Amino acid sequence: MEFGPIIRALKRNKVRFLLIVVQIAITLAVVTNAITMIRDESVKMMKSSGFDDDNIVWVRTKPFAPGFKDLPYRISAVNADLRAIQSTPGVVAVANTNFLPWQGGGSSGEVSAGGGDGSKFRTQVYFNTPGILDTLGVHLVSGRNIRDTDLDDDPNSKAPATAVISRDLERLVFKGQSAVGKQLIQSGDDGVVNVVGVFDPFYNPYGWPIHEYAVFYAGHVSRRGALYLVRIKPGMMKQTVPLIEQRMLQANNGRNIDMKTISEIKDNYFAQGKIVRGGMSMVIVLILIVTGLGIVGVTAFSVTERRKQIGTRRALGATKGAVLRYFLLENWIVTNTGLILGVVAAYGLNILLVTKTSGAKLDWRYVVAAVILLWLQGFIATLIPAMRATRFSPVIATRGA
Amino acid sequence: MLLYNVRIAIKSLRRNPVLTAVIIGGIALGICASTTFTTVRHMFARDPLPGKSDKLFYVRMDNWDPHTPYPTNQNNAGEAIPPQISYRDALALMRSNMPLRQSASFAAMMTVYPDPKVARPSSEPTRLVFSDFFSMFEVPFAYGGPWDHRADAKAEQVVVIDDAMNQKLFGGTNSVGKRVRIEDREFTVVGVLQPWRPFIKMYDMNGNFVAQPESVFLPFSLTPGMQIRSAGNSDGWKSAGTTFEDFLNSDVDWVQFWVELRSPAEAAQYHRFVDGYVLEEKKHGRFERPLMNRVTSLRDLMNVFGVITPQMTAMAAISILFLAICALNLTGLLLGKFLARAPEVSVRRALGATRINVFLQHITECELVGLAGGLLGMLLSIGAMKLIGKFISATSVISLDGEMILAALFLSLGAGLLAGLYPAWRICSVQPAVQLKI
Repeated sequence: MEFGPIIRALKRNKVRFLLIVVQIAITLAVVTNAITMIRDESVKMMKSSGFDDDNIVWVRTKPFAPGFKDLPYRISAVNADLRAIQSTPGVVAVANTNFLPWQGGGSSGEVSAGGGDGSKFRTQVYFNTPGILDTLGVHLVSGRNIRDTDLDDDPNSKAPATAVISRDLERLVFKGQSAVGKQLIQSGDDGVVNVVGVFDPFYNPYGWPIHEYAVFYAGHVSRRGALYLVRIKPGMMKQTVPLIEQRMLQANNGRNIDMKTISEIKDNYFAQGKIVRGGMSMVIVLILIVTGLGIVGVTAFSVTERRKQIGTRRALGATKGAVLRYFLLENWIVTNTGLILGVVAAYGLNILLVTKTSGAKLDWRYVVAAVILLWLQGFIATLIPAMRATRFSPVIATRGA
Repeated sequence: MLLYNVRIAIKSLRRNPVLTAVIIGGIALGICASTTFTTVRHMFARDPLPGKSDKLFYVRMDNWDPHTPYPTNQNNAGEAIPPQISYRDALALMRSNMPLRQSASFAAMMTVYPDPKVARPSSEPTRLVFSDFFSMFEVPFAYGGPWDHRADAKAEQVVVIDDAMNQKLFGGTNSVGKRVRIEDREFTVVGVLQPWRPFIKMYDMNGNFVAQPESVFLPFSLTPGMQIRSAGNSDGWKSAGTTFEDFLNSDVDWVQFWVELRSPAEAAQYHRFVDGYVLEEKKHGRFERPLMNRVTSLRDLMNVFGVITPQMTAMAAISILFLAICALNLTGLLLGKFLARAPEVSVRRALGATRINVFLQHITECELVGLAGGLLGMLLSIGAMKLIGKFISATSVISLDGEMILAALFLSLGAGLLAGLYPAWRICSVQPAVQLKI
């Protein structure tokens, strides 16, 4: 092999090859960290709520008729809405609830196990009518669902509330025992909650790490306008949504109605993640193209510059293969130098991103993948000008400059 | 001389259009990526109220559960303190005459009843504020102005509406003095805003800080009489009672409180005043947690509330590295291009051009390429930002401002210069004698 001559040749053109080395090093650092960012966002986006997200629509009423000031009037309006929505063709299930998946938050409170050691656990808490489990498409694991007779709207009621809780909350609070038939104590007002059932799955990202914990109380939601989730038969969203609005306004014209699909809300929640994914993917593609063009340019230049030497070598008996091998080997040495520096730079940049921006840790497999990618890129980018070098005729050696 | 250099440079660039396109395209991509991502970050990092963001201060008080601290999350930068204060504490702070201006505020949903011939009643995002709010946050008026302090004190039924609401209710005319029904009361319009779209909702960063400002503004002092509840977050740790009066007297946190102070010394003094108030309340059995209050300037609050997400910073950093690659790449290409021209330069040198002439001529070519790439890059990044704006939210305003255009120009000229220095130096130090031998 021609290691000796190659290294000596590289030494004579330090700056030119240093440029490639540094480019490859930065490229490796950027590509690996960009992949890590993309992966990090994708993991968040892939996480399933466990609900039938694609077929659920959120309905919000904004009442203006004075009658809505009165609680019994509001409750009867909610019940009329539930009947109107449920009877609309295409509707699978409906619930009056202040739960809204993928809004990046919700409402929360602290609970402890009745008769337990008093440790408090923060959990998401929502008020619902019994249709909630069918609407979300989650199933009961044990016990029973909340019933219409459990709904308690009296703000001064001292009677225990009724609720179903998520399986992860059951595990957290009751430590492997069944929660059914047990009680939860609400922090603050010491209100008692009878747990009648446990459901699964539940995942709703929240500002605090309580994404999997939920208490679904039996209760109506009507104070600032009624809120509903409606599950619609797959593929019938388009024709059903306007029908629901029409029927609700027929039932009560004293309010305005807003509707949003859960897909829209989810898209909005992940908007920034999508920018990260799209932007970083673009950067990866562009950086590979730019670095590739750089290698082509520098190799092409060094081929042109060494026409005479190449001709001389050919005249002295070197085969076309030997010339090709020379350039590929030269590039391989330069690439590897860049990659060694690049691995160091990649981890350096990653440490910076992890500490300064709470990014994700670099996975060594991405580094290996990126190294292979850059080897390939270097090979292809060198091959093009190097092939030209093999076509130089030995006659060149005999000519002047 | 400059013009001559420019002419030569253009000639040289036109000689090899493919190479020129690659070089300019490379710089354009680098400038596009770096300006796009730094602008996105800059939109959120820049001063929302120049000259005022270190004069407006946001007050937080730890009135949370004595047994468990307020949970830390992305909205308090790891400080275990509620992001808002209670209604009763807000009223107590309002009694101070230390700040230049001050306003408690919160968001609500209120039903507006237009003339039935004009539009259906609708429930509108409303903000309850004191009159100082408008001048504190430099809210621009088209007609009329804020209500006065007397209206605050007497809970007068006056209203300020935004431009869109004025279009809807009164067809965009000067509606000062006209009447409009909100909930069950009649209000008099005292002010109409100009179209107003601050890029972040700096006075309420608790919720969605890229959201639009509210369309209706009412005196805060109407809250108890009209039993208005917050439509934003409210945090509580114990029962708020059953009546509305109980709720107002509870420790539930749902009010944002801003003061305008003239200097850091005044801010420190005001902080001591808040501490003093809390120590006094402690005697009455409230604020059982260790003393922790915060008086935070608007500028610092943006960091506390995480207006700039870590991803934005990471993307900006990576895009700058990308620009660095493009510049390195440019150096490589220019080096090749210039050195291939050694015989031609040698002729010029032999005919009397000095090294400096040759150097300047080549640097001119680099700067020309940098400038062309920079302009193309900016055009590309305008497109990229439109795309990003669509993702964040339809109403979001992301665009190049003067500062960023200057930065992009500076970056592209800088990249051209840095990338060109070495190749230009190499070509001007070529020995004519070696090249001219036949």
